[in-house]
Amino acid sequence: MAAVVKVDKLAQSVVKGPSLMTGGYPTKPWMEVPAVFKPGNYAYPTKPEKLEYLNRQQGVSFPNAREWNPEDDDWKLPENWKEIILQGLKDRLDRFRSLKIFMDCCVRCGACADKCHFFLGTGDPKNMPVLRAELLRSVYRNDFTLAGKILGKLAGGREMTVGVLKEWFMYAYQCTECRRCSVFCPYGIDTAEITMMLRELLHMVGIGINWAMEPVSNSNRTGNHMGLTPQAFKGNVEFLCDDIENLTGIRVNPTFNRKGAEILFITPSADVFAEPGIFTCMGYLLLFEAIGLDYTWSTYASEGGNFGLFTSNEMMKKLNGKMYAEAKRLGVKWILGGECGHMWRVVHQYMDTMNGPADFLEVPKSPLTGTVFENAKSTKMVHISEFTADLIKNGKIKLDKTRNSHVIPTFHDSCNPARAMGLLDEPRYILDNVVEKWYEMPENTIREKTFCCGSGTALNTDEIMELRMRSGLPRANAVKYVHEKHGVNTLGCVCAIDRATLTTLMDYWVPGVQVAGLSELVGNALVIDGEQRQDLTEGLRTLV
Amino acid sequence: MALYAELARMLADRQKQILAVWIARTLQSYNSSDFFINSQDRFANPVGMLVRDGLTRVFELLRTEAEAEAFVQPLDQVIRIRAVQEFAASQAVVPFLELKWVVREVLNEDPPANPPTGELHHFDCAVDRVALTAFDLYCQCREQLYRTRIREVKSGRARFTDSGCPSRLADAGTGGGASEKS
Repeated sequence: MAAVVKVDKLAQSVVKGPSLMTGGYPTKPWMEVPAVFKPGNYAYPTKPEKLEYLNRQQGVSFPNAREWNPEDDDWKLPENWKEIILQGLKDRLDRFRSLKIFMDCCVRCGACADKCHFFLGTGDPKNMPVLRAELLRSVYRNDFTLAGKILGKLAGGREMTVGVLKEWFMYAYQCTECRRCSVFCPYGIDTAEITMMLRELLHMVGIGINWAMEPVSNSNRTGNHMGLTPQAFKGNVEFLCDDIENLTGIRVNPTFNRKGAEILFITPSADVFAEPGIFTCMGYLLLFEAIGLDYTWSTYASEGGNFGLFTSNEMMKKLNGKMYAEAKRLGVKWILGGECGHMWRVVHQYMDTMNGPADFLEVPKSPLTGTVFENAKSTKMVHISEFTADLIKNGKIKLDKTRNSHVIPTFHDSCNPARAMGLLDEPRYILDNVVEKWYEMPENTIREKTFCCGSGTALNTDEIMELRMRSGLPRANAVKYVHEKHGVNTLGCVCAIDRATLTTLMDYWVPGVQVAGLSELVGNALVIDGEQRQDLTEGLRTLV
Repeated sequence: MALYAELARMLADRQKQILAVWIARTLQSYNSSDFFINSQDRFANPVGMLVRDGLTRVFELLRTEAEAEAFVQPLDQVIRIRAVQEFAASQAVVPFLELKWVVREVLNEDPPANPPTGELHHFDCAVDRVALTAFDLYCQCREQLYRTRIREVKSGRARFTDSGCPSRLADAGTGGGASEKS
């Protein structure tokens, strides 16, 4: 008879019996476990000159610029830092009803706990959304609720200390504001907004990361993350036009800052600058040429991305405002937006109360099909996938699926288009029409439940590569499944951060899978009158 | 020729118990281990399920005295995860060495199983080889991470920061990006 081993007893002996394993076991209550910063687990702080520049700009405030190092005990905080933070929290509780509700209504049911890709990749309890929010909520209770003021720790309150502040910095930057947890919250608490508040409060005492703030300052100065001047931006797009001509024989001549164009096109600047986004951009250019769209690029609103969303309300508003200011200046009727992630969250969730409604623009109407985009009635901005799907549905473009025969895709729902604007079916409809066969990842990893790339909200920087790889594991794991089961070799998506970071993620977890924007696949399949397309075995990526 | 045929039979008899203990111990190296141990959905709980599957396959390969190459894939499945979590190199590979302790504990459970002299030594040696292979894989993963970092830095994607403004850099004498310091 086989021995009956008492698993529980033996598992306990991990702690009691001899063990080579060290660390890992939760031995203290979470409030007593300090955040420890070491190379690889934090993103580099903002350079003082970037903050000083931004602090000089109208409508935004980024005080207390200085050199500081997360690994040092002394973060060189302003003397009255605690007063600043608590006053900042008070102001925000008064201004944002949602924050007050989110602070009060959580019943700690735990539905969100195991839904966060950071928790799933690290096993760190403070990455459970409920506990991440508790980092702020405990301070709220202590200082802003009667129970907390009287009972303190007994009521789940805790005093704001430097240790708490450090914990905020650690975990506000181990959240990509992807909002997957919110899908599962029975109260609809938007944990992303709690992270946003934490980051805002930290900025008040000069704590932030350079990978967010340098693109923000570049965007504010030249209109895009890269800091490209108008000439350089235009030059880059024209390089892509040369490539298109070499590949297809079609000469595309886009216009820039053209007043009186019907449509203003705005996309993430990474699309005109870095692989693999440039192939997506070539797809846009070819599509617009094929249908003879009356549109213009802007070299000032030359960025769809808005890292202000990851920074502060005011900064988000300012960067979003430039797109609409440019639309007004150029006198266009409406705005067509490229494959960006968080730009769409800003437009759909915040635009109306920040800069909107954009009454000076017209309700978007496709000049080709006559379709009125009622969903964009207020923001006047249409997603390229909506626009393209409508063209296909109305038979306005000719597509040859065999031109994508080298591609077996799956589709990654980028967090913001999926969860913040409900763009779920249009990309799938496009895929149905541009490739012969594609495969869905498992049900609990797509659509509203999609897993984040793990590098959003300005966490796509190389110094936290391990963090990015572990938080991206749930996404990669699902890709690996369809890669092995169906031979999927391409991860389609509609977000520039995805295109950059999923490429790295795939290299580590699922080699053999490339990342492509959907417009690239559209561009591959597009049949255009008068073209002299070479044998493009890898579509627009083919080297000729 | 099998070096531990008798022991292998005992390991087969008690495989379920050995794996239960080994997997639980390994997953307890995470702070919130309950979820990793309990959730059985491979997509909702990738760390727990990939480790569970990897260790199960490694054990079966050990039990059947498989060739060295056969271990690489399941070991990589476990180590690739631990290489990007906050483990020291030693902590990352230690679960494989601990299998020796787990096997002894389970074999000693009532009624004790007594493998022939020498077979446990051969088994221990096989486990050590597995751990060393895991260490090689760990190093490969780390090297891959560093190469990936370099690739990102060199690519256009990384020019968000540190390089100053590309357009300004092309304009000699401006000090690249210095325009913000006015």
